Amino acid sequence: MSETTLPETAAVSIRQLSKSFDGVEVLRDVNLEVAKGEVVTILGSSGSGKSTLLRCINWLEQPDRGSIHIAGQRIGVDDAGRPMPVKTLARVRARTGMVFQSFNLWPHLNVLHNVTEAPIHVLGKSKREAEEHARALLEKVGMSHKADAYPNTLSGGQKQRVAIARALAMQPEVMLFDEPTSALDPELVGEVLAVIKDLSAEGYTMVIVTHEMAFARAVSDQVVFLEKGLIIERADPETFFTNASTERVRKFLERES
Amino acid sequence: MNTSAWHMLLEGAWTTVWISGVSIAIGVVAGLLIALIRLARIPIVDQLLVLYVSLARATPLVTLTLFIFLSAPTFGINLNRNVTGILALTLNTTAFNAEIWRSAFRNFSREQREAAMAVGMTPWITFRRIMLPQLVVTSLPGLVNEMSFLIKGSPAIAVIGIVDLTRVTNRISAVTYEPLPPILAACALYMLAIGCLVWLQRLAERRANRLAV
Repeated sequence: MSETTLPETAAVSIRQLSKSFDGVEVLRDVNLEVAKGEVVTILGSSGSGKSTLLRCINWLEQPDRGSIHIAGQRIGVDDAGRPMPVKTLARVRARTGMVFQSFNLWPHLNVLHNVTEAPIHVLGKSKREAEEHARALLEKVGMSHKADAYPNTLSGGQKQRVAIARALAMQPEVMLFDEPTSALDPELVGEVLAVIKDLSAEGYTMVIVTHEMAFARAVSDQVVFLEKGLIIERADPETFFTNASTERVRKFLERES
Repeated sequence: MNTSAWHMLLEGAWTTVWISGVSIAIGVVAGLLIALIRLARIPIVDQLLVLYVSLARATPLVTLTLFIFLSAPTFGINLNRNVTGILALTLNTTAFNAEIWRSAFRNFSREQREAAMAVGMTPWITFRRIMLPQLVVTSLPGLVNEMSFLIKGSPAIAVIGIVDLTRVTNRISAVTYEPLPPILAACALYMLAIGCLVWLQRLAERRANRLAV
């Protein structure tokens, strides 16, 4: 990880983040910098706190201590240390895009409108402009032929690709992926990973929580390993997968491969 | 039945339809408002609304109508019969509707709300654009059910002298000495009104199928 990256220029800057659920610490003093254009993968066994960490970045979970900046802007707390007004929070959140494990498409809207809904009603884009952009994004994720379809007629892989387009439509500073292929049938995993790979090739900044080791190795610039809420290893993918410094990570990789 | 009897019957039917219609319209919206206020859990206000909902749900319509009609003057309020009738029906149906809306809210998918937050929607936009369109569809069977209960309970307003579709059959048979034809015609008209509602509900259910992910 580059020590020279300033928080102002980092896409995401996480400082001393801690979070407990019912007295159990799920994140402990987590520090993480994600540079613009960087792809960071968060690995760890279930319950290690990786999803919580990701959900703190866009304030779907509120950390107990520490700070998070999105492209230099603090999220969740204003300059005086008070909780942000909901409108301000929504505006900062819009600078992140999230892709969920269970897709979370809105079933009452067709594919095109799932993608245009936020650009029109949050960014105030015109319908024409939003639809043009949406069609281009659907093309990118290979879903333009389903623009008029409703979510319940799509396969899991198709739903997830639409969900990716929906998040991209807000032109976020960083894309957050929360186990994007864990709810998919094995034969559908590839099509979603291929889309994410394309995005990394295009220079999108991404933070990805995943269990797909080969994918993590291929796509990441930085791999972070969480264990009981602590980052116990961080390295470039080559070092991480071939020469990890901690015994715990080597065990984990043995089991996963 | 002669023409004037039919004329009276239709007038009674109209009275039932418009008084019920106004009560339903106010009741659906007021029920939504109460559900929203209750979700905000404002102290005291919440307890008052709980009290209202339980009282309104537990009071027979005839009793409620009479109570409003007789108690309004003691508070120095002058209500005419129709307003009293509408008020009674509305107070009753609003309480039931509030519960229908509230349970739809409570069961709304957290995942969908999170997806809305994640793209930067404020709670208001989330409510307006994501939740409400789906809540209307999922609540409609319950709401339509409640509408048909209201129409079937509406003869209660006759207790304060409103000549509705049921009451008018008495008046007709007092002249014709044939009680059966008007009451049969009234039954048919009630069935027609409920039939329209059921048709509306089917329409909504067809749309709701899409929401089943």
